Amino acid sequence: MKSIKVDISDLQVSNGPESVLVTYALGSCIALILYDPKRKTGGMIHYMLPQSKTDPEKAKSTPGMFADTGIPLLFDKMAALGSLPTDLIAKVAGGGKFFASTSTLDIGKRNYTIVRKMLWKKNIMIQAEDVGGKKSRTTRLFLSSGKVTVSSGGEEKEL
Amino acid sequence: MIRKEQILSRMETLPTLPQVVVKLYAVLNNENSSASDVEAVMKTDPALTANILRMTNSPYFGAGRTIDSIRQAVALLGTKRVFEVAASASFSRIIPDTIPGYDVPADGFWTHCIAVAVIAERLALELKLKTPDLTFTAGLLHDIGKLAIGIFLADEAESVLGELADEGRSFYAAEYSVLGTDHAEIGGLLAESWQLPEKLVHLIRWHHKPSDAKKADPELDIEQERMIDLVHAADILAHAFGYGADAGGLARELDDAVVERLGIKVARLESVAADTMIQIRDLSASLSGSQEKS
Repeated sequence: MKSIKVDISDLQVSNGPESVLVTYALGSCIALILYDPKRKTGGMIHYMLPQSKTDPEKAKSTPGMFADTGIPLLFDKMAALGSLPTDLIAKVAGGGKFFASTSTLDIGKRNYTIVRKMLWKKNIMIQAEDVGGKKSRTTRLFLSSGKVTVSSGGEEKEL
Repeated sequence: MIRKEQILSRMETLPTLPQVVVKLYAVLNNENSSASDVEAVMKTDPALTANILRMTNSPYFGAGRTIDSIRQAVALLGTKRVFEVAASASFSRIIPDTIPGYDVPADGFWTHCIAVAVIAERLALELKLKTPDLTFTAGLLHDIGKLAIGIFLADEAESVLGELADEGRSFYAAEYSVLGTDHAEIGGLLAESWQLPEKLVHLIRWHHKPSDAKKADPELDIEQERMIDLVHAADILAHAFGYGADAGGLARELDDAVVERLGIKVARLESVAADTMIQIRDLSASLSGSQEKS
């Protein structure tokens, strides 16, 4: 098994059957996981923030930081491996929320709302998700089977 | 319930910040001292000097050119900055490999400390507030109580996680209800025993209850209050972005009054988060926790 780490604000794709894509410490950030069961190709992004207008300069140098620049790039990279949007299964993890009396500070929810919108526009359903709450999550995609796991506080479940 | 006395007795066995940091603070606070006085203090700890130079050469402290001596660091960055770096460099040496109870490895703990320091400074800038002196050091040292309390928390980990299970409480509140004390209170006592400047003692004591700081000490000036507010908010933000994820996950509480006092808006938080990510990554890598021990 070859583990490929997806850092914060990073995205990775692979077509290696032995590969496992993994990202750690998802708080209010979101991991979008794409998998093509026919070709056994997969990709993952760990973005921090919804919109690149927050910092257009950073969006150029680190497009994976934002949903609106990183997600299209992830689809492009999947296409380069031969996987079109219609071939892909999407799963989502993260988007947690800290305690604050005002919901306007809920960055996790903002991150989740945008991924839903972007996938909806591409006509892709989110097949499974583990979002919100107070958990910090680690998520893995196993390319050989397409299995996605989410672990948090010593517990692991399949998504 | 864990006995506070037990935790206090454990504090005596903990490593302390090297005396050189305390001496350095005294030198830097003396208007008559010069770069050679700083150099004289640092000479006693060559390993620390090496780490300071490594950090001062990271882009965050960016002097614009390579710094290869303490004297040069003082000339280019100023004495206050050199103290902040010295405190960071010496703190990184005393972080144990893992912090039991919080379930966070040294690297994660160190990244969290650096993240809070960097975010607190950047947040002040974003909110157009004057950055209080020592804010960086305050962010860096805010969680020192965890070094003392972790081992006790580990014994009670199940109870703490049980308290958290209903998702209705913050990790800090769960810690208090199980231990009868918390890492902020213990951290404040530890800071006193390390002879840290009083403002840092206060900051460490009140970083989870910023609105109680003024009640506890009516003498607290506005700059101090602001430092506590900034570090409080930076701590929550650092957890939100997974810098040093631990057993508490996102069960952290941002004080409403701080949001109001600082004028925090989501766009500003996002801007700070975007701008600090690479700095945090590079700075924490320039000196990893528990490494470079002498």
